Amino acid sequence: MAEGVVGRLRPRVGSWRSVLRHGPASAVWALLVAILILPIAMFLVIAISPRLLGQGDQWFTLRAFARVLSPSLLPAAVNSVSVALAAGVGAVVVGAAMAWLEQRTDLPGRRLWSGMMFSLMLAPSYLIALGWERLLEPAGVLDVLGLHAAWLRGHFYGPLGVSVVLGVKGLPFAYLAIAGALRGLGDEFEDAARVHGGGPVTGLRISASLLAPAFWSAFAIVFAESVSDFGVADTLAHDAHFPVLTYTLYTAIDAFPVDFPVAAAIGWVLLGLAGLAILAQNLAMRGRAYQVLGGRTRQVRRRHLGVVPRLSALAGATMVGIVGVGIPLLGALAASLFVGMGTLAASPTLTLDNYRRVLESAALHAPLAYSAEMAFVTAFLAVGLGLVCARALSTTGNRLSGRILDLMLLTAVALPGIVFAAGYIFTYNLPIMNRMGIHIYGTSLLLLLGYVATALPSTARVLVGSVSQLQSSMGQAARVHGAGAIRAWFSSSLPLLARPILNAWLLTFSATLLELPVSQLLYPPGSPPVSVGITKALSAYDLGGGTAMEVVSIALVLVVMGATWLGWRLLAPRGWKRIGEAR
Amino acid sequence: MSLTGRINRRSLVAVGLIGLTPIIAACSTPSAASTTVPSAGTQASNVAAPAAGASSSAGGSTVPLVVYSAQGYDSAVTKAFQAATGIPVKLVDDSTGPLLTRVAAEKNNPSWNVLWVDGDTAFAALDQQGQLADYTPQATFTAAGAKLQPSDHSYVSVSTTVMPGIIYNAARTTTVPASWQDLLGSAYQGQVGMNDPAQSGPTYPFVAGMMNLLGGQSNGETAGKAYFGKLKANGLKVFATNGDTLHALETGQINYGLIQSSAIAGELLKVKPTAQFKPKAVYLPKATLLPGVVGIDKANSPQAMKEAQEFVDYVLSPAGQKVMLTGDAQGDSNFWPIVQGVQANSNLGALPDNQRIDPYFWGPKEGEINSWFDQSIKQ
Repeated sequence: MAEGVVGRLRPRVGSWRSVLRHGPASAVWALLVAILILPIAMFLVIAISPRLLGQGDQWFTLRAFARVLSPSLLPAAVNSVSVALAAGVGAVVVGAAMAWLEQRTDLPGRRLWSGMMFSLMLAPSYLIALGWERLLEPAGVLDVLGLHAAWLRGHFYGPLGVSVVLGVKGLPFAYLAIAGALRGLGDEFEDAARVHGGGPVTGLRISASLLAPAFWSAFAIVFAESVSDFGVADTLAHDAHFPVLTYTLYTAIDAFPVDFPVAAAIGWVLLGLAGLAILAQNLAMRGRAYQVLGGRTRQVRRRHLGVVPRLSALAGATMVGIVGVGIPLLGALAASLFVGMGTLAASPTLTLDNYRRVLESAALHAPLAYSAEMAFVTAFLAVGLGLVCARALSTTGNRLSGRILDLMLLTAVALPGIVFAAGYIFTYNLPIMNRMGIHIYGTSLLLLLGYVATALPSTARVLVGSVSQLQSSMGQAARVHGAGAIRAWFSSSLPLLARPILNAWLLTFSATLLELPVSQLLYPPGSPPVSVGITKALSAYDLGGGTAMEVVSIALVLVVMGATWLGWRLLAPRGWKRIGEAR
Repeated sequence: MSLTGRINRRSLVAVGLIGLTPIIAACSTPSAASTTVPSAGTQASNVAAPAAGASSSAGGSTVPLVVYSAQGYDSAVTKAFQAATGIPVKLVDDSTGPLLTRVAAEKNNPSWNVLWVDGDTAFAALDQQGQLADYTPQATFTAAGAKLQPSDHSYVSVSTTVMPGIIYNAARTTTVPASWQDLLGSAYQGQVGMNDPAQSGPTYPFVAGMMNLLGGQSNGETAGKAYFGKLKANGLKVFATNGDTLHALETGQINYGLIQSSAIAGELLKVKPTAQFKPKAVYLPKATLLPGVVGIDKANSPQAMKEAQEFVDYVLSPAGQKVMLTGDAQGDSNFWPIVQGVQANSNLGALPDNQRIDPYFWGPKEGEINSWFDQSIKQ
């Protein structure tokens, strides 16, 4: 009898062990389902079953696809893919070059580049595009200054300008993903190639091959970000009469009654494009291993650049800074500090009135504090979850779960934020959710989950380059020496990943503070984030007030960045800082 | 198949614990210090306490009234309403487009109690979808105001602007149009700009209004398309919104802008004339009325319904109208009141010669006409 009880208990003990073993992984999957899969699925299903969510009369229809897959949409699809390819390749090439110059050479001013990359993150794509338009438009700033911009305008208003702005916007993702991976790649592989008779090109080729996960990761994220971008579609592409897919989507949801089924059908097309990027990545990396980051990774030597390469590199970096940061910053500062600049309305007059108005207004204080608080929490959560996803992508990338995770993350990027947010409403505002006791629609919690879901793909992608370099022997060695799993991770992996984690945190914080589409649809009544206030001011043609609010917000991010880097420099253990340091 | 390696599974728990602390702190705190939040660029302070003698709704049974609004003065009005009645208001203040997207996505389970935006075509569509509660307010309307009320009282027009007015730079041109046909003449070639109806909420009523004016409901679409085709042939330039068209006027890209009357009035108040830029306004016959409209959600609880009706009556009261007329002096406050006894701001002049279009007829055509405009006029 007693034996019988024990016998019945045995499988239970086993199942508890199984729960303990698989619990955290299941919890992560459950969270990913809740914040990514469910909202995306709920949005996409409307394309074939609008009635399911009260968006039409039919339980099953392909009407939306028939409208979307018409010949008139083909040019928009081709345009979207073309500019996204150009932006992806351009961002990877420039990002890799800048990462290499920053980490491996003695180029002066290189320490400013990381700051410049974060600055690029701060300006939404539509502001970068608007900055260029204000510069180049007929009777714009260049024309007013007597520098006739017709030739440049003719070239920039079109695929070239759209690709440049999208590439610049994607550059921080590419740079951070590649810089993180490059930091973990010592000189030893190049040295080994040289010892075996290879030239500098062979050494470079080996290094580039070992950095392939970071390159592909960067390309895929910039490609997906570019096909889903709304800001440039709405400004530069629109004004240049250069149709792209997201603008068609925009027209479907901006007219009333809102046509969500058509928007969802375009979402399927964007999903397919993201799938192609994943497919290319998987084909390129199949069956290879990239673990190079271990306890014996050595400090690298900086190369001395000659005069010509040095000047060329400085010119290139300056150009990136002007295109990505200088122009929008000039636009924002000109609009907020000078009344009448570039217009016939008045001669330019320097004034601080816009800043005084904004700083004295309660309209800014509470939204800015609220956005900062949400960005702070989002950054912690996205980095934590991003680490888990990056680990999963690097260890199970070719397995089904890895592919599903990869596709899921990229899908979230490939769908424009506003429809992603609409998916959140469809999911969490369902009456059945209320009946289940889930009342999170209209709360800060749902907005937070939306922010985390929006940030997660980029955060995971930025981390995957570094995480994929971690050799498992590090953790195993710590376990052999008696450390528990958590202690082993903190003592062996965290020191190697500390800097990429810090960068990913700052990236997420910066991107979330001024996030717009998810904020607009999910913010709790009575608690507007700062981006909504800025957009409202700009749409009311309060260009001075809106841009002053933006500059103040960006100044806050810069303060947070400065404090974080100072903290890193002063407080981080010396060993944490060693990875990627050059002699 | 496991998601992560064993080490990371446990590290996840640690990361989760670290992350949970700030989440709980962030999400357990009330979402805002004040219940009404000012819109961008407006001066505001925390909510005032209810005035002595506030209405009977003030009491333990009130529920927060959720107002979705795109009006520049909405923050001032909701604060004044709360002070007057004691009913707490939670405001979602955004542009019309995102608000209507949010309303459409919430269709199964609306979170708003009151919706307040410009233009009645969206409300006609909501009415046809059975989402609006009928209400007949206590106010007495002017003739124009009565014309703007729907026969079934499914929504309430509370103010009006017109679309379009014409703002022109008198420093660069002395030619002023007297009719819509004038704009097709050589004197206006390449000098006229308007907004894109797909991006600017008030512009679809203008396009539909031109169609209605030129051919009524039977032939208007054909006649209107022909008219805009001729405008395009004469060099019409299309910009995104009121602000972009004004910017084009200020930079000399155009000399005539067809935009909403409140944006024109705001520009005239803001700009001091110079030798190069002297903005002036002209209204051509039968500009289209563009009402500011309040709708009440049909799914409201009885208490929320009562409060929403009280809100509508407050907006139409002399006190409410006064706040509307002052809450956004250089923007949306430049409307023509449609309640008897209330005067427009002195800078505005009399309500121009106008027409009203039937939102139940023209509203459902918005998507199709905007697509045509996108493909035929804008390119």
